[in-house]
Amino acid sequence: MATQQQLPYRGGSGYVARSSSSGLYDVLELILDKGLVIDVFVRVSLIGIEILTIDARIVIASVDTYLRFAEAVNRLDLMQTETQGLPEMMEDITEGGASKKTKGILQGASEALFGEDEEDEEEKEKEPATKRRRSSSATAKRRRASGGSSSGSSQRRSKSS
Amino acid sequence: MTVAQPETAKYVYGVVRSEGASPPRGAGIDDVPVGVVAHGSVAALTSDVPVDFLEAGREELLAHSRVLEEAMEGAVVLPMRFGVVLPDEETIHERLLAPYAEALEAQLQEMDGKVEVTIKGIHDEEAILREVIAESREIAKLREAIQGKPEAATYYERIRLGELIAEALDDKRAAAAPQIIDRLVPFAVDVRVGDPVHERMAVNASFLVERARLGEFDQAVDRLGVELAGRIQLKYTGPLPPHSFVELGAGV
Repeated sequence: MATQQQLPYRGGSGYVARSSSSGLYDVLELILDKGLVIDVFVRVSLIGIEILTIDARIVIASVDTYLRFAEAVNRLDLMQTETQGLPEMMEDITEGGASKKTKGILQGASEALFGEDEEDEEEKEKEPATKRRRSSSATAKRRRASGGSSSGSSQRRSKSS
Repeated sequence: MTVAQPETAKYVYGVVRSEGASPPRGAGIDDVPVGVVAHGSVAALTSDVPVDFLEAGREELLAHSRVLEEAMEGAVVLPMRFGVVLPDEETIHERLLAPYAEALEAQLQEMDGKVEVTIKGIHDEEAILREVIAESREIAKLREAIQGKPEAATYYERIRLGELIAEALDDKRAAAAPQIIDRLVPFAVDVRVGDPVHERMAVNASFLVERARLGEFDQAVDRLGVELAGRIQLKYTGPLPPHSFVELGAGV
């Protein structure tokens, strides 16, 4: 523990999902909401971005969310003893951690922002850093999974659909 | 957009010290090189954008983030919020660097050697719902009452159940957030607690951390991650420029 003082953080235990600033999705809030600003000169608008920063808070207290919670607790007894094991958690972490499991607002916002041409772009742009590719492919994976493919994550997805 | 525009405006990424200021190697928005506009001891990182640059998307956001990330590798940088465009270099002097010179100078001093790290914690859905059911008789009873009945016949009960759960999650968040933050604060210089942006978000906080103590901070996050495993998934983003800790004070 004491030997790695100066090393950059690598999520050594495997229990913490980590992303650098290159993961746009994770820094969106900061870039758009925080930082120095001279109000009269903020001219650039972003279509669809408000969904993440504003609507998310409203959605939390919505009927849709309530119904989803109700459905989720009803489902619980069906998998009474089948609690989430370590391998599955590890998969979650490598695929982008908590965000993957949470269907709804955040995913919706990211799709609204990144648009449907995400996968095309991914192929077109070979150059960008691997970190970015990783975040693109995770999004693509989520979309595919929600479409009902047979990837590892579709099992989880199907529980909530 | 691809048509050559004779007229350009200046996009501003952030503010650095003039002394030794060098633009980041990588290009900015639209692959245009980033330059430095210096005014006394402070300088702006800028690049040319078309005058009609009014809408932006993913590429531009990434460019903004990338320029700042590169800038912070070698020096202290105060990030601008995304989307600040001034008409020309003159205006950068007149409206940003000159009137706020003192405030910028002071903040460059303050932020030197420090980075921002954001920590988000999301409650594991199954774990937290089990907890909530176990702790609330009302929720447990309502759940039993609804169980097995057709959805259409129990619509309002379901909404009520979900609402109770949402309230319980609020309480869980209120309890969990300070516990997580308190454990990390000793390793940070400052902290800003944000609103949850997800229904199961237990904590959403930004920490200002000295680079020299980043290792300690990271280890603390790691220990916490292990302790919370299965209940709250922590997500670490950083090191970032200190977005949450900068502001323009009153100009002159």
